[in-house]
Formats: sequence, structure tokens, C-alpha cells
Amino acid sequence: MLPLLRNDRGPLLLLACVLTIFLSSAAAAPLGKWLGRSAGWLLALPLLAVAAILVSQFSAESALTQTVSWMPTLGVDLALRLDGLSLLFALLVLVIGAAVMFYSAKYLGKGKQSSFYVLMTLFAAAMLLLVLADNVVVLFVAWEATTLCSFFLISRSGTHAQEPAIRTLLVTAAGGLSLLAAVVTMSVVTGTTQLSEILVSSAWSDNSTFATTVAALLAVAAFTKSAQFPFQAWLPDSMVAITPVSAYLHAAAMVKAGIYLLLRFSPALDGVMLWHVLLITSGVITALIGAIAALRRYDLKELLAYSTISQLGLLVTMIGVGTEYALTAAVVHTAAHALFKSALFLFVGVIDHDAGTRDIRELATMRLNMPVTKVAVTLAALSMAGVPPLLGFISKESMFTAFLDAPGPAWIGVSVTVLTAIAAVFTFVYSGRIVFGAFGGDGSQRTVPEASPLFWGPPAFTAAAGLVFGLVPHLLDPLASAAASSAVGSEVHTHLALWHGINAALFVSLAVLTTGAVLVAYRTRLEPLVTRLRFPFSALDVVDATRAGIIETGVRLGKLSGTTSPRLHLAIPAVVVSLIAVYGATHLHTLPPIVGETSRPLDWVLVILVAAGTIATVRAQTRISAAVVTGVVGFSMTLWFFTLGAADVALTQLLVEILTLCVMVLLLRRLPRRFSVEPVRKRIPAAVIAISAGLATTFGVWALTGRRDLSPAAQYYLQEGEQTTGGANIVNTILVDFRAFDTLGELSVLGIAGVAIAALLTSRKPVAIRSADLDEDSPLADSRQNTVFVRSITRWVGPLVVIMSVILLLRGHQEPGGGFIAALIGGAGFTLLYLAAPSDTAARIRLPYLSLIGAGVVIGTGTGLLGYLEGSFLTPIHFYIFEMHFTTALIFDVGVYLSVVGVILAALNLLGRQHRLGQQHAWTSDHDTTDKNEEVSSR
Amino acid sequence: MTLAITAGILVAGAVYLLLKPEMLRIILGFVLLSHAANLIIMAAGNSSRREEPFGTFTDLTNAADPLPQAFVLTAIVIAFSITVLMLVLAVTGKNDDNTSVSPPTDADDAAPQATDDAAATTPGDDAATAPTTTQEPTS
Repeated sequence: MLPLLRNDRGPLLLLACVLTIFLSSAAAAPLGKWLGRSAGWLLALPLLAVAAILVSQFSAESALTQTVSWMPTLGVDLALRLDGLSLLFALLVLVIGAAVMFYSAKYLGKGKQSSFYVLMTLFAAAMLLLVLADNVVVLFVAWEATTLCSFFLISRSGTHAQEPAIRTLLVTAAGGLSLLAAVVTMSVVTGTTQLSEILVSSAWSDNSTFATTVAALLAVAAFTKSAQFPFQAWLPDSMVAITPVSAYLHAAAMVKAGIYLLLRFSPALDGVMLWHVLLITSGVITALIGAIAALRRYDLKELLAYSTISQLGLLVTMIGVGTEYALTAAVVHTAAHALFKSALFLFVGVIDHDAGTRDIRELATMRLNMPVTKVAVTLAALSMAGVPPLLGFISKESMFTAFLDAPGPAWIGVSVTVLTAIAAVFTFVYSGRIVFGAFGGDGSQRTVPEASPLFWGPPAFTAAAGLVFGLVPHLLDPLASAAASSAVGSEVHTHLALWHGINAALFVSLAVLTTGAVLVAYRTRLEPLVTRLRFPFSALDVVDATRAGIIETGVRLGKLSGTTSPRLHLAIPAVVVSLIAVYGATHLHTLPPIVGETSRPLDWVLVILVAAGTIATVRAQTRISAAVVTGVVGFSMTLWFFTLGAADVALTQLLVEILTLCVMVLLLRRLPRRFSVEPVRKRIPAAVIAISAGLATTFGVWALTGRRDLSPAAQYYLQEGEQTTGGANIVNTILVDFRAFDTLGELSVLGIAGVAIAALLTSRKPVAIRSADLDEDSPLADSRQNTVFVRSITRWVGPLVVIMSVILLLRGHQEPGGGFIAALIGGAGFTLLYLAAPSDTAARIRLPYLSLIGAGVVIGTGTGLLGYLEGSFLTPIHFYIFEMHFTTALIFDVGVYLSVVGVILAALNLLGRQHRLGQQHAWTSDHDTTDKNEEVSSR
Repeated sequence: MTLAITAGILVAGAVYLLLKPEMLRIILGFVLLSHAANLIIMAAGNSSRREEPFGTFTDLTNAADPLPQAFVLTAIVIAFSITVLMLVLAVTGKNDDNTSVSPPTDADDAAPQATDDAAATTPGDDAATAPTTTQEPTS
């Protein structure tokens, strides 16, 4: 066993249990594919098996804990703990889950059912992990997993389910954020992420701010999950999901997660005023509005959805009251609710499945000849209504007892009792509506026969369980006591019983039952009255309005910082540079002296040249003149690099300048001739920003460069570079030997730029070529005559350029040259060929430029891998052929060459061509018939 | 000092162009900006040493620092490819390269543009929308 495991007893049974369900979810995919809906039979088994194991492992005396190290640096362990509360909820999750699985095997349509079963088992696994988690981070992860599972389960019902699914996700995920905040706060304040340690921390009593904050955060999280006011909207909304999903969501999973969270933190938060206030208010309001809404519905499933909200409201109120008796009542009611609600949901599914409708008004015309269904639905409805001798009666009477004994001022207990009694009356009435609505039909249209036992079996079982536990309530005593002990925080011994003697609660129950019975009798007169009781606004609209509002706010906020105009984005860094310079100028005190004579008299000529070129570029009014005068700056830069002793750089600059100009000219014919003229009010701020950025640059360069001697790296290259690499051109050896990995990265950048250019031009049509104002009579108008001169020269110069390019590549290690320069010269040769051609089509250089780019990167990487022979990636290997010295660095340089040539060819080929690029791959040859067309349109 | 001044001039010109609405001017701004950046990298190697770094040096007093040169060399080529990419972006969007949200209605530009739009519907354009355009690339 792993050393980091801490285990009380058993070979990590809890972990194995959770894993089993997760694994069954993995198995659900093939099972659902092969067996279709019947996979439910198999998938229910692990759930039942795990339930049995948990029961057998449980001991009321000490909780079972198991820990596996997960993120030790963060102090987060995969800790699981099985106590009474966990067991109760785990059993609900597993047993109801198994019932739903059995049921689904009959309910679902034929065909593949992988996604349903995968999500349902995953849902069960997440819920199991949630209720067993003994670490708040694990708890949070499981919580979010249930949110996602429910989202997918709802949204898989079809396109009409997407909006409800998104609303569900938004509301529950918002609650998840609240839980995350609570988790973080608790971990920081208590110093641990272990749930059982957090609960007994002294911080809850010492630090009231902390306790209040966490109480609010946890309450919000639980309210969203359990659909409590004001977050109740999503639950009825989620009714678009299929019946098994709804049944599971409402009875055992999802909404019960919120109840579990409240019960779990109940001992720690007992006495925090806000906790009790929030829970009682929200619970009572939810119980009432849910019950009233349920009275108005005719769709049985929708009715049940609102009844869930109402019942959960009662549960939350009980937890809010927080006495030992109230919490025990909550625990029992949780179980009772799970049993009757799952039965009702699943039977509504049975009715819907067999009768083809679940609308009370339509069912009124049918006679359901379904004895078992009728009995089971009646039992479940009676349990929900709180009629003896069902479990629902016991839990509801305990509830009233608890409310009457509520701590604090007497009016609280009385008003809570009165309000919940009203909710209970409504509960009775809508329970009656279910039974009479479903089975009170006159049979005028048709008679519906009973479903197969396999179909009604699972829900009948949970309905019957409600009766059994009602008749023999002490069967539940151990579980209820253990769960209540965890929720209370101290030992609780519950003795559930049907008869508690004559007391106040009994009178409340009697009053509820009598009023309820009368109202059920007059339900047909009641319904129109209640239908008029409308909420002034729909909660769904609130959710949607909130969502729209959030997006709107985001857009507004985004507009403050974002714009589609690049101007603002580009101005910000320029302004910031100036600000940094101002800061530097005021905070720099002593600078080291400048080493050597950094300026030479001749430099000033270059300064003037660059200044002239820059000013001309800025002032240029037409695009073509701007492009040309920028060249002045580029050529001055070439001279600068020569002056600075950088021959290779100068060569590169010269070639790039030529090629840039060529590419620009290819594009300029697609753009308007003149630039727009901007008003002075726009030019002045731009000039101010520009000049300050320029001053900042000058100041920065003056202050921060030229003030140190040669760096150790440079000394090494200059003194030992040639010996180490066998190359005299130190700059080139840096590129292909010392820092070849950098160069490989640069090749990739080049390659990606080439691919991006190709992708842009093949996917998007460039703007059309503008007509050139040519005099048709001028010899210039005829491209063939016009290019005579260049074509003649090219015939001689072309081959020379290619030879020169190869020579420069080969000698690059020793003398000025190398892959970059050679490729640029080669590219210049291709450009010359292109320019000499009389038309765009004739000029197409049919070389696979993308393959060239790819080959370059592959060769570069391959050379790098060869380096492993000598030790590491890109280590140059030296070898001799006919006593001539070679090195793999040369091969690497070939890679450089190919990549650069590929990019230049991509630009020439794609930009030089007409706007018909989406048609074929750039390197496939066109039919000659297109030539004429293009030539015509290019004129 | 001369390098510092040159870089300053280039940056001022570059920033001014960057603040213009036309994509081509922004591209030229970037070209100038990369020149400035390259010069600054060169300056970092100390411009008092200007002897070309070839062979093996015993006397280091005047030898230029080869490392900034290598950086600048690759920087130039990368700047080239990025310039081409930006140029392509300038011609694959709207019919002119004005990047501002509401392009200024310049009388100078508007008139020829209208005729250009009409001219844009050439036979070549029609062919681009013809069914044959959907043919799979063959290579």
C-alpha cells in the first residue's frame, strides 16, 4: 500500500466504492451502445452493491475515514469519510439511483443509450463523492461535477432544452462560485481543507465575521442547488429533461446536494444569526410559493417540480430552526421526500408513457385501468400529504413539533408553524390533485391498461418503502439517529413513532388534514381561483434579464478598454514608454560612465539620412510614395549596420528592404492611391505622443547602453568561437552552432507566418485590383514590350543570382553569408523572375512553397536530433569528405534557407496572383485558358 | 549618442504612423519601429567597438559584439515575414485599408473608390462564385 495512505480499516473500501461507480460510468458507454436501454439492468447493480457495502461498513460509533494523497503541496487530500449523514445521503443516491436505472431500462426508447447512462452513472458517482468527501476541495469538485452532469442531462433532451439547460447551469454555477468562496475562506481561516477538522474549528465561535460570511456563502450555494427562493426558477425549467433524469434530480441527486451541504455545516453555524434568518425566511417563502404554484399546474410533472421546491423549502426551514428535534425531522423528511418523490415522478412517467399525456385535463377523458399504479401513486401522494400511517406523516409531525418549540421569541415559532401549516395544506391539496387528476378520468376517450411489472416495479418499491417505514418507523431509528448526530454535532438518539400522544403538533396535523380534505373536495372550484393568483413577474424572466444585464454590463465595460480601432491600442504602449522614461529621468541618479567613443563624426550623415527618410515617410500623401521613401530609411539602416561592423546584418537588411518593397508594390495596386487627410485636431495629439516616445527612446538608449565593456559571452565567442566551431564568421556560428535552438524557433515563426499568409489568402479573397490610369497609347501600357529590358537582363542575371545564393549559403560559416542571406538573395532572384514576366500568370513560380517551409523546419529539427549522437539536441557534428571539413551546422543552414525561400515564394505567388485564390491549392497549375482572362482584367 | 538619436527619430516617426487610420501606414510604422528596435539591440553591444567579428581575436579592444548582430539578423528576417503578413491583412479586409470604425469620407478617395467598386465585378469575380470554385484541391 502507498505510504501516504491513512486508513482506519478495510482496504480503502470507500475509495473503491466511489471508483466502482466511476468505472461503471466508463463501462456505461459500451454497454449503452451494445445493450441499448437494457444496460440499466446491469448498471443498477454496482449502485446496489456499493449501497450494501456502505451499510455493512458503517458503524455509528466512529466514522470511517480514508485518505489518499492528492495535492500534497496544497495540503489537499482525497479524503473520504462515512458518517451517519453521509450514509443517509449515499443510500438515497445509490438506492434511488438503482431504481431509476431499473426504470430507465423500460422507459427509454430502443437504440443506443450511451450518453444517458454515462451521464447518469457519472451523476451518481459525483453525488456519492460529494456526500462522502471529507475535504472541502473534493467537496467543491464533486459539487461542480453534479452541476455539469445535470446540465448535460437536461441539454441532451434536444434543442428546446438548451435554454433551460443554460439557465440551470448559470444559476447553479453561480452557486458553485459562492461555494468556492466559502471553501477558500474556510481553508484560509482554519488552516486546513479537511472538512471534519474545519467543522470543529474554534474559528466559528472566535471569529464572528468569518462565521457570518461563510454562512451567507454556503446558504447561497445551497439555495441555488436546492432551488430555494430567490433561485427557485431553474428547477421547473429543467423539467424538459426526460422523466428518469427529473426523478433523480428531484428525489436524490442535485437538489439534495444543497440540503446535504446545509445539514453538514449545521453544527458549525448553529447560533450564527444570519444563518437562521436566511434559512427560515427563504425556506418559508419557497415552501409557500412552490405549493401555490403547484396548485395551479395541470401538467403532472410540472406540478411535481413545484412540489419539490415547496418540500425543499420545508426542509430548509427545518435546518434553519436548527434544534436537535428540527434537524432530526429534516433528516427523516429528506428520506421520506426521496421515497415519495421518486415514486411519483417515475409513475407520472409510466402514465405519460402509456396514456400518452400527463396533463390532468386530458387525463380527465381517460380511464386508467392501472391498479398497481393507482395504489402506489396514492401511497406516495398520501405520504407527501402527510397522512398517517406513512413516513411523510411522521416527518411532518416532527416538523411541526420542532417549529412549535423553535428557540427565540415565541412569535417566530408560531408564525413559522402557521405558514408551514398553510404550505402543508396546499401540499395536501396538490397531492389530492395528483391522485384524482390522474385516476379520476371518466374514460370517455379511452382506457389505459396497466404497465408491465418491470416498469412499475422500481417506483412501486419506493412507494411501498414509505408505507413500511411509516408503519414500522423504528426500522429507521439507527440511520436517522446517526444522520441527526452528524447534523447536530452531538449524539442523538431518535425514536420515531406514529403516535406521540395528544400534543400541539397533532392538532396542527389534524387541522392541516381536515382543511386539506375539504379543499380537495372543492378543488374544482379552487383551481380557477388559484390560477388567478399570479406572481407579478416570472422568475425565469428575472434569470434571463440578469443574464442579459450581465452581458450588457460586460459589453459596456469592454467598450471602455477595447476598441476595434488599433489606434487606441497602439497609443497606450507609446504613452507608457514616455511615462517610464519620465520616471527613469527623475529617479536615475548616477550612471556608470560611457565606455569608449560610441559616436563617430560620419554617423551624423546617417542620422540625417534616417531623419530625412522618416520625415518623408510621415509626410507622404500617397501610398506608393510612402512605400518608396520608407526604403530610404531601410537603406540608411543598411549603412548603419555596415558602419557598426555588422556586414551580415547589413546584407540582410539590404535584401529584406528590396524584397519588402517588391511585396508592397504587389499589394499597393489593390489599395487606394492616396491616404486620407486627417484634421489637425487629430494630428496634434498623435504628434505629441510620437515626439515624447521618440525623446523617451533617445533618453533611454543614451542612459542605458554603451556603459559597459564586452560581455563574457561576447569575449568567449570572439576568442574561442572559431576553434570550437571551425567557422570564422562568428555571427553565423552563433546562429547555426551556439544558439541554433533560437534559430530553429525563428524558423518556426517564419514557417507559421508563411502558412498564415497562405491560409489568409486562400480563405479570404483579397480586395480587387484597382485600375491603373495608363495611357493606352504609351508603350508602357503593353506589358510584353514594357518588360523587354528586364527580361533580357534576367536571362543572364537569373542564373548568376542562383549561383551566388548557393555560394553564399556554403561559405556562410567562414565569410559573410549564411542561410538567411543566401535565401534572401535566392528570393530576390525569384522576385526578378516574377517582375520580368509579362503577366501574373506567366510569372507564377511553380514551386511548392508550403512544402519548402515544412522541409526547412524538418531539416532544422532533424539536424537537431542528429545532435543527440554527440550529446544533445542541435550539437553540431563535424565530419570530413575528401579531406574537406563539413559540419551539420551547414545542413541546419540549408533548413534556414528553405524556410526563408518558402516564405518569400508564398508571398510572391499568392500576392502576385489575381483574386481567384480560393479555387485551388497555390501550387497546382492553372489551365492556360484562365491566362487570357487575368491578363485582360489586370489592365 | 548618434545611435540614440537615430532610434529616437525612428520611434517618433513610427509612433506617429501607428496612430494613423490606414493599415499601410501602421505597417510602415511597424517597419520603422523594428528598425529602431534593431538599432537599440546594436547599441546594447556598445557602438564604440566596430571591428567586424570574423576569425579569432587576441585583442578585444575594438571587436564588435557578435551576439547583438546575430539577434538583429534574425530579427530583420522575422520582421520581414511579419510585415508581409500584415500587408496581406491590409488587402484581405474591406475595400480600402482604413482601420477606423467609421472611415472618413474623403472626397479625394470616395470618388475613385466608387468606380473601383464597379470595376471590381470583372469576369474573374464571376468565375470565383461559379460552382467550379468548390473543386477539391489537387496536389
